[in-house]
Amino acid sequence: MIIAIVGFSIALPRLYRMAFDKPVRAPFIQYSCIEKNFLIIRRSADGIKRETPQGKAFTRDEYEAALPFMYARQLLMDGTMPDSVNGVAIDVHECNNYRSSFRLKPKMIHAPQPVLFPMFESESGRARLELPKDYFRISWRMEFIDAKTNKVNEEKSRLFSAALYHCGFQFPARSIDGLPTTRKSCDEGYIVTDNKNQIFHLKMVKGEPFVNKVNIPSDMTFKTIQCVDNKDKLYYAFLVSSDNNLYVLTQDDYKLVKLEVNDINPDKYEIRIYGDFFNFNVITTGDNFTRSQILNREYKKVDEYSETWTPLEDSREGKIAQVLFPAQLAMTNSDSGYVNFFVSRSKSFGCLLLSLALVVLQFFIIRKRKNKVNHILDFCLVAFTGIFGFIAVNIFPNKFWD
Amino acid sequence: MWKSIVYKEWLKTRWFAIIYLLLSILAIANLFLKVQHDLTFNEAQKYWYMVVFQNLKYFKHGFFIVLPLLGALTIAVAQYFPETVSKRIKLSYHLPLNENKMLLTMMLYGTICILIISVVTFLLFVGLSFIWFPAEIVTGAAITIAPYFLSGFAVYFLTALMVLEPVWKYRFLYLIVAAIFVPVYFTRVVIGGYLPALPLLTVFTVILSISLLFSGYRFRKGEM
Repeated sequence: MIIAIVGFSIALPRLYRMAFDKPVRAPFIQYSCIEKNFLIIRRSADGIKRETPQGKAFTRDEYEAALPFMYARQLLMDGTMPDSVNGVAIDVHECNNYRSSFRLKPKMIHAPQPVLFPMFESESGRARLELPKDYFRISWRMEFIDAKTNKVNEEKSRLFSAALYHCGFQFPARSIDGLPTTRKSCDEGYIVTDNKNQIFHLKMVKGEPFVNKVNIPSDMTFKTIQCVDNKDKLYYAFLVSSDNNLYVLTQDDYKLVKLEVNDINPDKYEIRIYGDFFNFNVITTGDNFTRSQILNREYKKVDEYSETWTPLEDSREGKIAQVLFPAQLAMTNSDSGYVNFFVSRSKSFGCLLLSLALVVLQFFIIRKRKNKVNHILDFCLVAFTGIFGFIAVNIFPNKFWD
Repeated sequence: MWKSIVYKEWLKTRWFAIIYLLLSILAIANLFLKVQHDLTFNEAQKYWYMVVFQNLKYFKHGFFIVLPLLGALTIAVAQYFPETVSKRIKLSYHLPLNENKMLLTMMLYGTICILIISVVTFLLFVGLSFIWFPAEIVTGAAITIAPYFLSGFAVYFLTALMVLEPVWKYRFLYLIVAAIFVPVYFTRVVIGGYLPALPLLTVFTVILSISLLFSGYRFRKGEM
């Protein structure tokens, strides 16, 4: 019977959601360096609206003209690309180098992380990166495993392990972050966090290990480190600390620079960072809000804007669901890549009323049977689990104690 | 007397159990032949790349995934269906043995049968995986196929429940419950993502076993 209750608490909310869910389309916020204001795109069933927070509407052409770096190609095609913006002369090819985009979802962090990585040769002299023949892992030492033979390459493993050891690396590694793909402009290796939360930059140069320890405050830990491959080559990675601050690790001098933004929580919010010639746009989006924080190229805050909307739970359908179902079970979660029994309890007291009503109904159903006292357990189940228990109790009739 | 009961169960299910075991071994052999073929045709490092970073499930070849479910289903039907023909289970109930214990013995026999075959299959899979893949990849694969084996047990209990149930209305309702619960074992997920759910899922599978007592009880009381 418990299985039935579990099963129904998964299936019934899912059916309900399939029938009644409405999509939530978060507005997309960008910053115009020409207008010095925010530009918002709102998509709805009626079409696309482009406007400022003050409500001034833009046509598509006006919108694209206000965002010259984002729509450079279109403006060049139309011949309306400005020669200079804010008094600074623009060379189109050069300012393309400053464009970057970055996206991080909670699902990417709360998921099984890979533990085997390819160590690319970062200075191979070839125009394209090639996938190496072995993969490494860092447990009690750093080991390279040849893919074809599935055997450890002892010599290479010892060489790299020694290099790490001499830099003060404490095995095993807590996390290894990098870009394990050949589709990047060049290889900058991996950022490795050791057992004592120290950070190292690790790569392979002409077959030899290159290890560099990064100086960070000793009590600092990071929720996630995401390496990037941007054309301006100013930093290796974005780092989010445990107190929800955002940092970059600068290229070559390994400085940890804090960006003047706050409440960057990768566990709950989707984070997007768009860079262009003048600004960085850090957008955090949650269940019921989206917030855009604008920085200049020195990472200092220039402006900020946020919007909220009613989340699914508080909408009319959501509220009805809260009354109908005392708890909802799901095997997957949009914030997590794992499978687990995700429980979300109802926040309203209406479901208690419904449970009581169902208990009364159940009593009504069995009033003809003898020995009603034995059904107390059934009543408790219905009271606790509401509609799920009601259905389950009637499928598995309690004749056990007759 | 108990030995005779166990022997009776064995007589009912022996061919099905043997075929299930043989099919499992064949499925594994087929699976690893494909793995070896793919490793030869692609470069090994590209194949590992697909497994580690592109979520390639190398065990999804052939019918290896559904085999535990089908095997358990077959054994359950082979074991309990003859009991329902002409309500033969009443014969067992007329023996001088505790009726609950009788049912439990039958169920235990089936469970142990499936357990042995599952363990053999699982160990064979893991052992062979170690030839071609390192521990990390094998662990991920083991976590991902564990729910398929658990589903075998769940299906065994639920099928026994359905077959023994005398009343058709409840059979149908049990089928609905099964149709809702069994897909939980097959939730689509990345390799290694099932780990947090496994302990609770195992507990639920064990709880299912008790449900069998329901049906046998009702049969006993002559509900038609």
